[in-house]
Amino acid sequence: MPNFSISDILDNPSNKQKLYGYCGRIARINLTTGEVSCLDTYQYVPKYVGGRTLIHRIFWDEVPAGTGAFDEGNKFIYMNGPTTGTGIPAGGRSAACAIGPSVLPEQFTFGNIGGWFATELKYAGYDGFIIEGKSDTPVYIKIEDDKIDILPADDLWGMRVHQTQAALEEKYGHDFKSMVIGPAGENLVRIASITTSNDCAFAKGGFGAVWGSKKLKAVTVRGTGMVAPADIEKVKTLRMTMNNPSMRPSPILHLDKLGVPGGEFDVQYDRGNVACSPGCNQRCNALLFNGVSAFEDQPVNHIEKCVSASTFSYKTDIPAPVGMFWPTKQNYCAPCKLLGRDFPAPDFTDPDFEAQGKVILPDVYDLWKPDYERGTIVNDLCNEYGIDKWEIDVWLQTWLGMGKKEGLFDGMDLGTGREVDVEDTQFIRTFIDNLVYRKGYYGNLFAEGMARAIREMGYDKYSDTIYHGRHSQMLNGQRLDIPVSLEGGWGQSVHWQGRGYEGSVEKPTWLAACLIRMLSTRDANTVEHFHSEFEYHAEAMADPYHSPNLIRAIINVQNNAEIKDSVMSCEWQSPDPWWPTMEAEMYAAATGYPMTAEELHEAACRSKLLMRAILIRNHGRNRKMEIEQVWRTMCIPDSWGEVADWQQWNEMVDLIYEARDWDLETGWPYREAYEKVGLKDVADEMEKLGYLPKRPAQRWHDYGEPPFVKFQEYQKQEAAQG
Amino acid sequence: MAEKVYAKEPATPEELANYGNHIVQYSPDYSFCTGCESCSILCGLTHEGFTGPGNSRIRIDLGTRSMVHTVLACQQCNDHPCYDACPKKGQAMKIDEKGIVYIEEEFCIGCGLCARACKFQPSRIAMKKNKDRKQWKAVKCDLCRNRPEGPACIQYCPARCIGLSEDSTFVSGGVRPAQAE
Repeated sequence: MPNFSISDILDNPSNKQKLYGYCGRIARINLTTGEVSCLDTYQYVPKYVGGRTLIHRIFWDEVPAGTGAFDEGNKFIYMNGPTTGTGIPAGGRSAACAIGPSVLPEQFTFGNIGGWFATELKYAGYDGFIIEGKSDTPVYIKIEDDKIDILPADDLWGMRVHQTQAALEEKYGHDFKSMVIGPAGENLVRIASITTSNDCAFAKGGFGAVWGSKKLKAVTVRGTGMVAPADIEKVKTLRMTMNNPSMRPSPILHLDKLGVPGGEFDVQYDRGNVACSPGCNQRCNALLFNGVSAFEDQPVNHIEKCVSASTFSYKTDIPAPVGMFWPTKQNYCAPCKLLGRDFPAPDFTDPDFEAQGKVILPDVYDLWKPDYERGTIVNDLCNEYGIDKWEIDVWLQTWLGMGKKEGLFDGMDLGTGREVDVEDTQFIRTFIDNLVYRKGYYGNLFAEGMARAIREMGYDKYSDTIYHGRHSQMLNGQRLDIPVSLEGGWGQSVHWQGRGYEGSVEKPTWLAACLIRMLSTRDANTVEHFHSEFEYHAEAMADPYHSPNLIRAIINVQNNAEIKDSVMSCEWQSPDPWWPTMEAEMYAAATGYPMTAEELHEAACRSKLLMRAILIRNHGRNRKMEIEQVWRTMCIPDSWGEVADWQQWNEMVDLIYEARDWDLETGWPYREAYEKVGLKDVADEMEKLGYLPKRPAQRWHDYGEPPFVKFQEYQKQEAAQG
Repeated sequence: MAEKVYAKEPATPEELANYGNHIVQYSPDYSFCTGCESCSILCGLTHEGFTGPGNSRIRIDLGTRSMVHTVLACQQCNDHPCYDACPKKGQAMKIDEKGIVYIEEEFCIGCGLCARACKFQPSRIAMKKNKDRKQWKAVKCDLCRNRPEGPACIQYCPARCIGLSEDSTFVSGGVRPAQAE
């Protein structure tokens, strides 16, 4: 049974530490056998916190090396957090992991998501669930308190995301909350998402295709139980202090401009600001009213986030002030307040106001003209089919736009029966339809994701051909080379990496973003946005490769990402650079366990190490492999025409490896690193497998030659031709 | 373009004349509900010490596709059919000096007649299981009558999209309860 009273929680014999905040059980649902059982949460917490840290532990224990994304042995492990349902802001989010089919090569990856689902699952009495095995026929999982049923989904199979959501709501009522896949997931499209009713999505990694491979269409849940935080007064205090909510009205805005500053265009629309999940004290998502629907005659309301903006117009990239990554204390503002148009007035008394407010002017690309209706349809296609918008908005469309201008598609229709034209709504719609339903050669090809499709078509030509239409506003309009394909590592699009989409940022910022991406398996910059206090900006600018405070900031960002996905918060609320104990206070308020910031950071190191161990054991991760993933991106000129230096980049990688106590040659953690955070058992297994390095007598220093990058060869050829 | 419909109209002047002071949802042109359910969650924490769908005296009818949400709470009807239906009225269900109908939980026998007598759908009176899960108890909004700060839902609504009808100048259409009367 779910908990119905505080005594239900505290009298649970497994709950020896008398922790509030947890339900006490994790459901295990096997789609091969139909068996349902429960794991005891209290055997893992507080050591493994909840959310992503707990996910990493279970994945390490249960998913062996050699497991592929679509194998029966792949597991979708989903967890809410101890703050979920407690009223602590942003606790309504949740996390999941699996071997991700969109990652190139396939690897363990993770994501987080908003929506009402996680809180409802907690009311049903679960801290998460593990979905394992595979069904032979389409099914969905219905959870109603204790009762978990695996039911036939024949009537849902084939439905789009919101059709599925509506069908489940009609069948079971408004109180059931669902996560579903659309046709893309069913058809094993590698970029398929899992989506909630309010268009929150596990989009990175391709988890929708993992569900599709298991023939799992949806999970729907209703709970009638309760969730109890330990310290209600503290919860109330956190609600009033986390990111200083202004607690002011949020009217519907009747607007006549859309687009990034400097690239705005005229359009009449209404916008509301909405929260993604229960209990949040912010409102960072945009609700665009009465937009055109890709499928229905009547207009529909669309929830959109920052990535959606690019698809409405792409004359320039996104402008970004220095303080977005390097804020001062006086002018720090949580991103949620910026996105929700709820930011405070600037503090002009800040001595660094001008420096941190300096805007890096974005590069000009001229890829497609403003078209609100076209952009809305593209975004709606992504929402309804259940596919990752980053792949479509940022990568596919820019590739089509740049490739067309460079003549790559002359005489080709890419299976659409129309001239390749990213501004043609019908073309892009047909292309996406083909991709989702794997129609024809190109539909089937691009269903594998951009990274794999481009390699199949011919990487040198279709990835690294130079686009000649990029102009830097930081260099007075000077033309800069960029390849037609904006790939940023691990088969995912670029993001805040110094070139391409959200690319006009300073060198320390893009070096940090590339390093964070290198150590991950996905677009890390949607879950681990880089930021550091402005007081270290000058040091980083002076020598970005060797700045101790830049390395410290990167580790902080990485650890805080683990923390916010475990305690459960969100990328925009957490961390607050000037409130380093915030997440520990959140955890303590939820559970009653007197967590300190230091203990939580140790848990974050534990979580990060577990993921590192998974990547090494399951996928053979090492230094060479990860450096090669991001090097090509850094060989593309940034907005000042600069590229990375191989020697110095390797020295920067050395610094972060050493700070983590990893071997410089292999990138594998030493035994002491594991044991320091209570992972002796992991170190023992790594030793047995030959993945535990011995400390060398002398500091390793053999960087070799940089990987070959075809784009650079094209640049040399053009330079030679004058 | 379809006609723009953003939210349920919270009350007409005629309706307002029939109710005591109660929680209202403001016009979306003043403030738009974000769907965060903070009102419901803080209600549960304040009254019960925990959260959960059966533990709140206010609920949000979520527009799970439109994202237009409607806040539902007891409207403190002047003719209080819930009170009239209670077989233990005066003990389990009472009316205070301000006309607020409230429940003394220890005397509630969980018959559910009050919830059924509510003139609204869904009923503004919820039925929750008590701590040993053997008995049902009725719960309804009493405007946090013993709380000096007033209703917790209003205090912690981050969008300020709800308020008290008597204080409100921003209910839909700009209708003031005083004008309605």
